[in-house]
Amino acid sequence: MDIFLQLAVSGIALGMIYAVIAFGYQLTFATSGTLNFGQGEALMLGALVGLSLAGNVLGGPYLNYWLMIPIVMVFGALQGMLVEWIGVRPAIKIKSEFGWIMSTIALAIIFKNAAENIWGKDDLRFPSPLSETPFQIFGANVQPMQVLVVGGALLMMLAVEIFNRKSIYGKAVVATSNDRDAAGLVGINTGMVITFSYALSSMTAAVAGVLVAPLTLTGATMGSALGLKAFAVAIIGGLTSGMGAIIGGLILGVAETFTGFYISTGYKEVPGLLLLLLVLAVKPAGLFGKTAIKKV
Amino acid sequence: MNVKIKSIIATLALGAAFSALAADPIKIGLSGPFTGGSSPMGVSMRDGVKLAATEINAKGGILGRQIQLIERDDEAKNERGIQVTQELINKEKVAAGIGFINSGVSLAAQRFYQEAKIPVMNNVATATVITKQFMPPEFPDSYVFRTSAYDSIQCALIVEEVVTKRKLTKVAILADSTNYGQLGREDLEKALAKKGITAVAVEKYNIKDVDMTAQLLKSKQAGAQVVITYGIGPELAQIANGMEKLGWKVPILGSWTLSMANFIDNAGKNGEGAIMPQTFIQEGNTPKRKAFIEAYQKTYKVDRIPSPVSAAQGYDSMFLLAAAIKQAGTTDGVKVREALENLKEKMEGVVKTYDHPFTHDDHEVIKIGDVVMGMVQNGHVVHAK
Repeated sequence: MDIFLQLAVSGIALGMIYAVIAFGYQLTFATSGTLNFGQGEALMLGALVGLSLAGNVLGGPYLNYWLMIPIVMVFGALQGMLVEWIGVRPAIKIKSEFGWIMSTIALAIIFKNAAENIWGKDDLRFPSPLSETPFQIFGANVQPMQVLVVGGALLMMLAVEIFNRKSIYGKAVVATSNDRDAAGLVGINTGMVITFSYALSSMTAAVAGVLVAPLTLTGATMGSALGLKAFAVAIIGGLTSGMGAIIGGLILGVAETFTGFYISTGYKEVPGLLLLLLVLAVKPAGLFGKTAIKKV
Repeated sequence: MNVKIKSIIATLALGAAFSALAADPIKIGLSGPFTGGSSPMGVSMRDGVKLAATEINAKGGILGRQIQLIERDDEAKNERGIQVTQELINKEKVAAGIGFINSGVSLAAQRFYQEAKIPVMNNVATATVITKQFMPPEFPDSYVFRTSAYDSIQCALIVEEVVTKRKLTKVAILADSTNYGQLGREDLEKALAKKGITAVAVEKYNIKDVDMTAQLLKSKQAGAQVVITYGIGPELAQIANGMEKLGWKVPILGSWTLSMANFIDNAGKNGEGAIMPQTFIQEGNTPKRKAFIEAYQKTYKVDRIPSPVSAAQGYDSMFLLAAAIKQAGTTDGVKVREALENLKEKMEGVVKTYDHPFTHDDHEVIKIGDVVMGMVQNGHVVHAK
């Protein structure tokens, strides 16, 4: 039973990391029908900027961990706006169906290379703001930082959902995601809403970066693998459902740790990807996604 | 003949005289991972080789020619290693090769040296098969030499420490999925089998894995009293940190890579007490070693060498190669290989004293008695008691 719980705890912590990044994919998909394939790099940049402020890599520490988070949020938002402005807006303007795929991937590579030049190619240690000594829940060891990751991720997703449902700006976002043309007709500046959704998406990724960095290591290449797995999560859960991201993330995270223990660590990534293939074959819109009807 | 023509002839003659004085440099290819997770080894090795080359050049070089190192970053990737090795041989026309940190890269790329009949000194890579790849009788002559402690020596020492000294019999092996990790795991299992022991858990992980819970839980569940690692710095740190996460405290022993700075730094207090075989420890216990450490610290402005073993083996490998070229009297690959296999000059190095280090059928210079056990203490590697 201890083992089972321990695996579940690790799987949930890992799954929530995937979920937050997958959530970022959904934010932009909802408003513009496009995705930022540099989501993993947004996370990596957030973590490295956070490390530069709160760690000693670039002459710091300048701020403590908690004060650094708002700055990382602002940075993430600006980075997302940049991606939208350079990579996505031109593609939407000319109604290119695939232009944004290449341009967001290209930007992701540029960000990675820039990060390698600024911070080097090595993995760096991110000082943990909380004690690293684990405490016990029903016999399973849990680190305070893991709780922070799960709590922080849920809180962030909840905040975005409340914003969308309650505030007038959020309603504009929802309207745009329901029908961009109609939203435009009633006077919503849909272009602005799309920019905003990119800012929000990269912001969540950047905050996720500083949340997970003390658990993983920080470095220019940390984003690629996480971004790809989160994309699988977004597809499994459905690109139109916030709940789907959380459930999808948890499924993948828990599947990885359980397979690693009960089958073989060599195959730990297989069940998640098998599930991805299964979902694509049976319910392509994802477990929680609304089936899209494409009108021609 | 007018003055103008005379002056032209004089200039030409002078030019010829100068170019004879400044003979062409001897080009040596220097490759290794200078970026990424393996970079502490690659950078220390490179800097050790450069230090040696600078000393040799200051004394007038070899055969009256200066050494010119051509550096290439192989990024610890097999395909990149193949690319830079071909470039060094075909484009730069190097006289010899020095380097190779990652066993996978070495096994993939060193065949180009072999085919071109150019000697190559593996000064860090440790997979046991590396020097066997082109050995007689399958091949007439092997151009692959090594100055590092190969895996089966290291495994024997680790097993000795675990089984004989500490009397531990329940062993968990955690190895990464690269050639280095998996070949090392095989050697480790063989060394354990000699003592009649089968590991209670044998686990695998990938480079860049951030969660080791499953591997560690399986080892813990199997009742392991000790964890033996075969991997490189960042993931070794994840193992040490993962054990802290689970609140599982058993000793960590493993291959020499537990001395890498990026393990020590990223594991912090969780890495304290880790034990590994070393050919060199940054403690100046002979005048030669003291001078080497001081020169390294002064030249590269660091207190702690990122990977002292790599730096020392790199430094010695350059001197061995230089001695062989000097003895051969030429940079011809075949002659240099023959000189290496019958090196007459007895030479005190940083790692050991080299007396006929190689023969035609034995291209390993490190013997089991040359290796000591090191331990991580206060962020440095010291001699283990």
